[in-house]
Amino acid sequence: MGIESKTVKKKILTAEFYLLIFFIALLLLLVIIAGEFFSLNNVMNILNSASYLLIGAIGMNLIILTGNIDVSAGAIASVVAIFIAFVGKTGAPLYILLPVAMLVGATLSLINALFITWLKIPSMVATLATTQLFSGMLPLIVEGSVYGLPNSFTWLAFKAKIFNVIPASVLGAIVLAIIAIIFMKYSKFSKKIYAIGNDRSAARILGLHVGKIELSVFIIAGALYGVMATILATAGQRVTTTMGSGLEMTMIAAVVLGGTRISGGSGKILGTVLGVLILSIITPAMNYLGLSPDWSDTVMGAIILLSVIVGAISLVKKRHNMFDLKDKLSRENKV
Amino acid sequence: MKMRSKKICKPSYNFALLMILLMLIVVIYLINNHFLDYTYISNVVIKNIIEMGLMALAVTLIVVTGGIDLSVGSIMILSAMAGGMVVVKVGGILGVLVAIIIGALCGLVNGLVIVKLKLSALVTTLSTMFLFRGIAKGMSAGESVYSYPITDFIGNTEIFGLQLSMLVYIVAAIILTLLLSKTITGRTLYAIGLNENAAKFSGLKVEKVLVSMYVLSGFICALAGFMYLGRFTSIKFDVANKMNLQVVTIIVLGGTSITGGIGDMRGTIIATFIIAVLNSGLTVMNIPIDVQTIINGAVLAISLIVYAILNKHRFHAKEN
Repeated sequence: MGIESKTVKKKILTAEFYLLIFFIALLLLLVIIAGEFFSLNNVMNILNSASYLLIGAIGMNLIILTGNIDVSAGAIASVVAIFIAFVGKTGAPLYILLPVAMLVGATLSLINALFITWLKIPSMVATLATTQLFSGMLPLIVEGSVYGLPNSFTWLAFKAKIFNVIPASVLGAIVLAIIAIIFMKYSKFSKKIYAIGNDRSAARILGLHVGKIELSVFIIAGALYGVMATILATAGQRVTTTMGSGLEMTMIAAVVLGGTRISGGSGKILGTVLGVLILSIITPAMNYLGLSPDWSDTVMGAIILLSVIVGAISLVKKRHNMFDLKDKLSRENKV
Repeated sequence: MKMRSKKICKPSYNFALLMILLMLIVVIYLINNHFLDYTYISNVVIKNIIEMGLMALAVTLIVVTGGIDLSVGSIMILSAMAGGMVVVKVGGILGVLVAIIIGALCGLVNGLVIVKLKLSALVTTLSTMFLFRGIAKGMSAGESVYSYPITDFIGNTEIFGLQLSMLVYIVAAIILTLLLSKTITGRTLYAIGLNENAAKFSGLKVEKVLVSMYVLSGFICALAGFMYLGRFTSIKFDVANKMNLQVVTIIVLGGTSITGGIGDMRGTIIATFIIAVLNSGLTVMNIPIDVQTIINGAVLAISLIVYAILNKHRFHAKEN
């Protein structure tokens, strides 16, 4: 009986659960102190800015689950944004822009993947190098920004609203997140991703094509960065070359906050969703709570650090339990 | 066997780096003769890299252990700002003291979290990067903090024709090179990088050494902060966003393995000068500053590919 209740407890008391509690507590606090925070306009604004971060973070989450990391995501987003700005200047509508963006994103991410799988360069280092290649490429092509973009380009941000209320990008992000959650739970491919992240050499010995799987994960992530960049770029009539810079750190932070282990093999998309929501609510929430938004980075950093520390402590406890179990087993064997 | 092949390979990579550096200098000199003027070298080429070079020295020690410090830029800003703000209110030597203490304290936080809670260095320093920068931003309310006499002195004084900041760099480079290659602490760092558990069970003081390395890194960031503040006369919270990753770039270019255990200080020093020469050399050649990023990236990518191929050969040689 004790064991059963313990396993039930374990199933509920996950990192995501704590995050959810924290998120709800934050919302309740806002309801009590600053009710005007929940005006439709404000909520939609926040959700809109969370939507592109979420789409990118899902891609980043997949990469981190394989035990890799991608610090070039921001640079890729910048390149894609400029690229589709050029395409959009000719008056191309969204159904052309989006596939182009995904294609460019996937191609750039493929370059990362080739560095990592062929040359066996650690992902941290490889993507560090490509960050500079990608973001360095832009000033060669454009000076500062592409501007004067037509209305067809900004259609997604201003016109595409469901019931005139919900921005289409928010709906897109929600759909993508649901697909990702289902995919990571039930597909065979996701099990391979977890397997690689958990133990690369074991996965190889079991007959998984580690390189190929990593390659496809990077391509998927690249396509998602493309979608992210599309939402980011079409928000205005001017696209700058530094549009995505710094985004990678926020994305990694959201994934880590969501309880995904940075060394790979463990973590859920749901956690990342919560991580993104929490990170994007902090700055506006502080505004409404009457705190100076200058402190928002501090709060963000503290929340991330605290959540990883809590995660680490519970992991240490788990390890102790495992040692106990091993102890018991060896004793039983001796007896 | 393993040791021998490593010994053949390691100097050769540094040698290749040195050759690249010399080649760059010769090419740029041929295009523009003023490049090798002493004043240009000391006032532009070296001065522009000195803070990053200094931080790269300290972070090399950390990367050798298999760790990483992404928060160096943020620590630099935070400590410099704290110092500057204390000077405005109280004045004098106290600002310097506060800056150094804050720098070391930030390093201590990093070190303790990483060592005691067994958190990955990447995650820890990523979150403290946000945290320290955020504190700097909140403290200054987004405004600039201005330099004070002591930072002016550190950033802009010349002694016997040598920049004081350069002198600090040379001293730090010598001390840290010796620390890594000649002392027991240095060997411990390599041991931790190769196999932390083995190092622990061999009776090495892994935790103590690791924490002290992060503290050292924080301290050196504070030093770099003085130089930066003196050089630019003001500092804002967002100036060092790129620095965090650029420091890692220098170290990786220097041939230090990001997974730990391999690398040395000489590589980092040569790599620092390669980046310095590249940046200023391209300016001399009238190539706009924006283009320099891609060339830095290309150099890093090429060196990584060369290193990977070298490694593969070594690996194959071992197999045979």
